[in-house]
Amino acid sequence: MDPNQKRAKAVDRVDSVDTGAASSESTRMCPFPDEVLERVLSLIGSHKDRSSVSLVCKDWYNAERWSRRHVFIGNCYSVSPEIVAARFPRIRSVTLKGKPRFSDFNLVPEDWGADVHPWLSVFSTAYPFLEELRLKRMAVSDESLEFLATNFQGFKALSLLSCDGFSTDGLKAIATNCKNLTELDVQENGIDDLGGHWLSCFPESLSSLEILNFASLNSEVSFDALEKLVSRCKSLRVLKVNRNVSLDQLQKLLLQAPQLMELGTGTFMQELVSGPVTELKNTFSNCKHLVTLSGLWDATPLYLPLLDTVGDKGLEAVGSCCPLLEELRVFPADPFDQEIFLGVTESGFVSVSRGCPKLRYVLYFCRQMTNAAVATIAQNCPDFTHFRLCIMNPGQPDYLTKEPMDEAFGAIVKTCTKLQRLAVSGLLTDRTFEYIGKYAKNLETLSVAFAGSSDLGMEYVLGGCPKLRKLEIRDCPFGNAALLSGLTKYESMRSLWMSACNVTMNGCRELAKEKPRLNVEVMKDEGSDDSQAHKVYVYRTVAGPRRDAPPFVLTL
Amino acid sequence: MDGTLGLLGGIHGGADGGGGGDGGGVPSCGSILTNSKEDDTMNDQDMLAEVSSSYPVDDDLELGLGLRIGGGGSNAIQEGSRILRPNSCSSSSSSSSVNITNSSIAGFKKSAIDSVSPPNAASVVGWPPIRRAHRMPILANRIKSERKEYSSRAKSYLSVKVNMDGTLIGRKVDLNAHNSYETLARTLENMFYGRLSNTETIGRSRLLSGTSEFVLTYEDKDGDCMLVGDVPWQMFVSSVKRLRILRSPKSRNCI
Repeated sequence: MDPNQKRAKAVDRVDSVDTGAASSESTRMCPFPDEVLERVLSLIGSHKDRSSVSLVCKDWYNAERWSRRHVFIGNCYSVSPEIVAARFPRIRSVTLKGKPRFSDFNLVPEDWGADVHPWLSVFSTAYPFLEELRLKRMAVSDESLEFLATNFQGFKALSLLSCDGFSTDGLKAIATNCKNLTELDVQENGIDDLGGHWLSCFPESLSSLEILNFASLNSEVSFDALEKLVSRCKSLRVLKVNRNVSLDQLQKLLLQAPQLMELGTGTFMQELVSGPVTELKNTFSNCKHLVTLSGLWDATPLYLPLLDTVGDKGLEAVGSCCPLLEELRVFPADPFDQEIFLGVTESGFVSVSRGCPKLRYVLYFCRQMTNAAVATIAQNCPDFTHFRLCIMNPGQPDYLTKEPMDEAFGAIVKTCTKLQRLAVSGLLTDRTFEYIGKYAKNLETLSVAFAGSSDLGMEYVLGGCPKLRKLEIRDCPFGNAALLSGLTKYESMRSLWMSACNVTMNGCRELAKEKPRLNVEVMKDEGSDDSQAHKVYVYRTVAGPRRDAPPFVLTL
Repeated sequence: MDGTLGLLGGIHGGADGGGGGDGGGVPSCGSILTNSKEDDTMNDQDMLAEVSSSYPVDDDLELGLGLRIGGGGSNAIQEGSRILRPNSCSSSSSSSSVNITNSSIAGFKKSAIDSVSPPNAASVVGWPPIRRAHRMPILANRIKSERKEYSSRAKSYLSVKVNMDGTLIGRKVDLNAHNSYETLARTLENMFYGRLSNTETIGRSRLLSGTSEFVLTYEDKDGDCMLVGDVPWQMFVSSVKRLRILRSPKSRNCI
């Protein structure tokens, strides 16, 4: 195409862009030269928007793919690295997610897959200038980390969340070789912690760090090396250290980094002694930009008489002091000990909801709940986008009325119209799912455990919830009829997980036969009945069946 | 069966016993019901008794809970039998477990095969859904040891008296809340803060390092006055009887 010719066209028609006209013509009617279109499209960040853009017409598809710098792959098996590299030639940043979420709770055997290495191999030739890699629930080895560190010269940002298979040696490779590193964020990984020496591997010349998070690592790093690193990285804005860093050490770090915006301390193990606390307070006042503080303060009884927290009283305090609170996560002190009577109840939750009407995100573990309380909470906080309630005893009803908790979640979905993510618990009949299917118009992720009375439950959800993307179910009485009721829906979803339900191999085979563009994978459990499908993972894919599936994963 | 069902200790015992999988579950529950007088939900007891006496063992397990999911395998049966375990019948455990039994039974009467059995939370893989990073075992262990202290089912609460030269009123410290000399010394410094003049907390405790005008000593099993810090921590804990903070170097005798 003659660029001059194109430019002439643009001058004539620059005021009258009509995308409708463009897409309805079979010949090229786009008023913009490719370069301009690409430039415009490069300003679009959201991958959802980009997906929409790419569907407009061929020219837009091409312009979009050339201008895309970041690709988000929510399920590493939905596409292959070769396909990604072929479509998007100029990627600088990749986000890749692997295992199903229930692998966090030991429901997925080791060696299931999601190895990042095949991706890195392809990227080393396709994207040698890759700058950012964000991995979640991927299997990452030290060799892969070393490969990453040595094959991508301009590599800047690495984020590892809930990954496993590597050790601190892998971190050493990153620290040693990535000369332009701006971010190293290592969270909640199944990491082999061989010591804190990795931190000392950052060369003296490295001063580009902006984000450093090693809060979940256990071993002590050299404070000297850390202090020097912090002092020479003038752009450091997020620093999350682990629990071995003491209060006075923290204070010294803050002195070196007054520009810090986020500070985290991991699980803080030491006693709060008043001397250093005062000094720390003074230092904090010098940090004008500090926006976020995080850390679990695990002090001795001397200073915190009620060790496990936040009980309901603590939540009352939160409710009365934090009117702008948007996110709340309450974890149990000891989830596996039935003896513990401490901890939060429904009244704590209600107190917070009263005082914090702006709550958007809640994750709440408790041992008792009532329908009335949840209804009140829904009324108080209608803006919930993420509501995850875990009543820890499976199948437990409203402890006052002894009824199922159907009305509780009914209230939530009816009132909170912006709800995107929901996790239900307690004794639930199909009615809960009827409510969800009918009212949860924006729901994208639903987690269900030990709930429902029949196939109807799951059918309600699959028949409603137009925006559903992820459905994860365990220990529910949903069988083949329920599974097959979603035949037309699964291709519009990212994935479905069903474990310990009533689905059989035949049901899964039927689904696989009807829907060739879905991977229907069954994980075999030792000693279980061969006709039952104990763990089923269904997901849409353009890459066909997995080529790296371990023997216990059967693709039907 | 064990008449002391009321004790929560029964939970753990029950959990292991469930592995038997066979009739072991039923008869014990039968006797549990007859022994348990404190249980105020008499209706449940009757219902349960009905269930357990009217049906043979295997069916009972199924009815009781299993309604499982065919593919549950041995796991399901184990989980199933647990519901009929002491913990669910006992009234001294949280009311929730009694309610489970309530609703399970109610569920059975309505839609027998279809309702799901709610197993004991502690026995289910991956439940509650908490990532290992969010578990706070240290906190949990501390809570446990604190409560054991209060409930006098104490096994490992070791408090010793601490007296300081020049102070009339002594203190007590729980040695099992510490696992090193350093934390113990800091605790003591805080307890007696102000009197241990010029005590800094940066770096090693001055009480231990010998740079303070006070010295930390203890009286051991033999009644001898010893300097704290010489022997390994565990050895110290097993032989210490009381602690004394003495003004050095003048005070030499511990009496």
